[in-house]
Amino acid sequence: MVAMTMVIVVVAIFVLYPVFYLLQAAFDVGPAEVRPPAAYGFDNFSALGKYWEIMLNTLVVTFAATIMALTFGFLTAWILTRTNVPFQRTLEQLMAVPYYVTPLLGALAWNFLGAPESGFINQVWRAGGGQGALIDITSAVGIAWVMALFEGSVAFVMIGAVMKSMDPALEEASQMSGAGRWRAMLRITLPLVAPGVLGAAIFVFAEMLGSFSAALVLGTPARFYVITTAIYQFVSQYPPRLPLAAALGVSLFAVMFGMLYLYRRITANRSFVTISGKAFRPRAIDMGWLRWVLFAVCAGYVFLSVLLPIATLVFASFQKLAVAWPAADNFTLDNYRTALSLNAVRSALSNSLFLGLLTATIGVVLTGLLAWIIQRSRLPGRGVLEYIVMFPQAVPRLVFAFGMMWAWLAFPIPIYGTFWILLIAYLTVFLPLGVRTISGVIMQLDKSLEECGQVCGASWSFRVRTIVAPLLWPGILAAWLLIFVASVRELGASILLMGPDSKVMTPAIAEAFFSTSSELTAAMALIQTVVVAAAMVVFTLMTRRAAVHGA
Amino acid sequence: MADSDRAPEIEVEDLVIRYGAVAAVGPVNFSVTQGEQLTLLGPSGCGKTTTLRAIAGLERPTAGAIRIRGDTVFDASRRINMPAERRGLSMVFQSYAIWPHMTVFENVAYGLRVRNASAAEIDEKVRHALDLVKMGAYASRNASQLSGGQQQRVAVARACAFSPKVLLFDEPLSNLDAKLRAQMRIELRELQHRLGVTSVYVTHDLEEALAMSDRIIVMRGGHIEQAGPAADIYNYPRTAFVADFVGSANLISGRLRADLARDGLIALEADAGRILYGEARGREAGPTPTMSVRTVHLQLNATQPAASINVWPVRVRRTVFLGDLTQVHVEWGGRELVVRQTASTAPAEGSTAYLSIDPARCVLLEADAATEAEQAPPPPTPPIVADLPIE
Ligand SMILES: Nc1ncnc2c1ncn2[C@@H]1O[C@H](COP(=O)(O)OP(=O)(O)O)[C@@H](O)[C@H]1O
Ligand SMILES: [Mg+2]
Repeated sequence: MVAMTMVIVVVAIFVLYPVFYLLQAAFDVGPAEVRPPAAYGFDNFSALGKYWEIMLNTLVVTFAATIMALTFGFLTAWILTRTNVPFQRTLEQLMAVPYYVTPLLGALAWNFLGAPESGFINQVWRAGGGQGALIDITSAVGIAWVMALFEGSVAFVMIGAVMKSMDPALEEASQMSGAGRWRAMLRITLPLVAPGVLGAAIFVFAEMLGSFSAALVLGTPARFYVITTAIYQFVSQYPPRLPLAAALGVSLFAVMFGMLYLYRRITANRSFVTISGKAFRPRAIDMGWLRWVLFAVCAGYVFLSVLLPIATLVFASFQKLAVAWPAADNFTLDNYRTALSLNAVRSALSNSLFLGLLTATIGVVLTGLLAWIIQRSRLPGRGVLEYIVMFPQAVPRLVFAFGMMWAWLAFPIPIYGTFWILLIAYLTVFLPLGVRTISGVIMQLDKSLEECGQVCGASWSFRVRTIVAPLLWPGILAAWLLIFVASVRELGASILLMGPDSKVMTPAIAEAFFSTSSELTAAMALIQTVVVAAAMVVFTLMTRRAAVHGA
Repeated sequence: MADSDRAPEIEVEDLVIRYGAVAAVGPVNFSVTQGEQLTLLGPSGCGKTTTLRAIAGLERPTAGAIRIRGDTVFDASRRINMPAERRGLSMVFQSYAIWPHMTVFENVAYGLRVRNASAAEIDEKVRHALDLVKMGAYASRNASQLSGGQQQRVAVARACAFSPKVLLFDEPLSNLDAKLRAQMRIELRELQHRLGVTSVYVTHDLEEALAMSDRIIVMRGGHIEQAGPAADIYNYPRTAFVADFVGSANLISGRLRADLARDGLIALEADAGRILYGEARGREAGPTPTMSVRTVHLQLNATQPAASINVWPVRVRRTVFLGDLTQVHVEWGGRELVVRQTASTAPAEGSTAYLSIDPARCVLLEADAATEAEQAPPPPTPPIVADLPIE
């Protein structure tokens, strides 16, 4: 009981303390050096009017990206759940991969592919007699394209879940009453999945609003800013314009918060009770020869979001000058040699791995406890706790980090610029991820499994050891992996919070992109990808062996 | 049978359980004596599970008190709430709650392990419990590989293994198919007798309640509608609701004719002036006096019986073959009555027969608190045949 209360208090401080400082900075209109602020007002917000172009950019990119991501998600979800597409299972597994290939990686790769002058695709186009650039990945639509490729797999998971949970009897009933199959699709299926798709749209839109890395890599060199990159610019330029950055961050956060609130309302009050929780295999529509076309659509998506970017980076990382036509004397191992010899890279990589291990391990214990309190305990404040825990979801990580920077600068213990502030930041921003993952497993567990232990006379700690923890184990492992991967590739929060002695890998890659060659950057990005993948494999093998030995 | 001089094992006093503004249960009062088998019977949502869980300590009541063997385990006014793990009860859950990550043996041994029993004792008691439910051969089986019926048996063995004084059952048979359910009903009853434990059994199934228990408490909307021995509940329902719920009955309304009462029987004048004699059993009639007669207690005779009361000639409207029984709809004073009798003796449709009812089988019902409150119209003229409750 006391332990639980302490956990709640600590979490509340982690989450709310930076938000408080963020708000304080946004409304601070006094002299910049005076803290706490001498005067409050809305001047910082009215000053944002000058930057309407950034808002417009953000809207264009976000809308375009959302529409594209939903198109990818809806098409692939429909194909994979409702048609007899060949290799359905394999495709379904492959659909998760884009999520692990980060947008940063994608942006670096698509920069090689689609930069207006030097992009491979444009070079081929011109060599084939074309004029100018076929595609411009640094344009608003180009940035949106890269963002959408990776968010598409999130949309796929969300829309796929809705389609899977639909009772096929509803469509069959429509067919039995004489309506054709396509009519059933239009009149029954679409209206039934509409709320789920709308929910996914809002969720994806909010995520896109707060996304950072694609716009950073592709937009910034051409001075094309969206809100997140503008905030970063305001903070990192000299002299920094912190109040402006804070105001921009608060505005963005307000919009995202509103959208996520809407999302929760839509998904919570789903009046379409017919989409029941029963498990059934939705009826697959026989598409005839068209199914090979549908297969090509899904395979094409995986190709564009995973294979092509990785292949591009691999190719580029072995070139002296990637934008030149392939030639034998252009081949080099120097990029890898340089990357591996750079002290900054080596320490950043080991820092990242160590932080990932620490974040994931502390994170699963923390989020496991929180998920359990939220789902199962009768603690009075647990409703509020759920909101607090899910709160970081509504704050772009960059904005959150800004609040933390401000907050921990004022904190009596000097942790700003150290490793520890990164740990705290990761633990906080990944709270929703961990809690959501473990809650999902808890919700599937029959409550009476634990109650039975209680009635048998087992104390709380004995029950946790013998019943709760073993049953939650798969969820805990999944959460560990997700948090680990998310931490190691984190950019938005790390880029603001890492100090000169606490460099981590992803921001180091982004910095390398701006300060060194893009071929070296490609090598660094691939090294990170391989190391993360290897760590995941090792972890999976270890836990599987432990499970075998334990049984 | 429950002896009234035995000490109460569980006492429930003015128990109220609310969820927000909604009162799910109560206030209810009842007690269970040592070795008694009590059943809480009622339709889905009437608060049976909630009541049982409050006794177990899994649900925190809003008001009232619960005592187990004289020890107060819950008392709202004294802010006592002993956690479930210290109440020393045992429970079989509706979902069985078999731990899928353990073997059958480990499942059953759990309560003994908690009590720090020695390895030898655990081994012996687990074997014994598994033998009781005929699952001895499955001890090393993985619990996730069991069928529904086997899981149910393991759940019972697990609940008994550590020799608890009280067993709580929450619809333990409701997930089994009909045939297995009938079989398990008998086995559970035998087991209870053999162990001599006190048990509280929750079900919405009448047959199960009748088979399993010494005493039945019929619940409705969080309140106790009637409590008593199984046979009393069946033969002498107290309200229209119980008559309805506890098997099919004809409900006949009319006005009481005190002037015609005789031989300790009361007389009810139904539509078309028909006089029905029956027993009051000390009950007060409501604004619409109603009597209940079970469909199986009506008799159809080919020739006029000798009795002078409760005999009428009737026309047979329809007969429905139900297998073991035939259901006969007869016209009686402008309405229909339903008679159920063994299949062989059914009269032909359209024929005339003599209907007779033993006055001892006609029982006056008390006003139904809920229906009175709802200002429900008096029962309509067609027969009110309440079938066996099916969920
Ligand atoms: N956790 C809960 N929250 C709100 N209402 C509940 C909860 N549990 C039960 N109820 C309500 O209490 C009433 C009684 O439920 P329950 O005891 O499960 O009924 P029974 O077991 O007789 O079917 C129902 O109306 C139910 O909706
Ligand atoms: Mg129940």
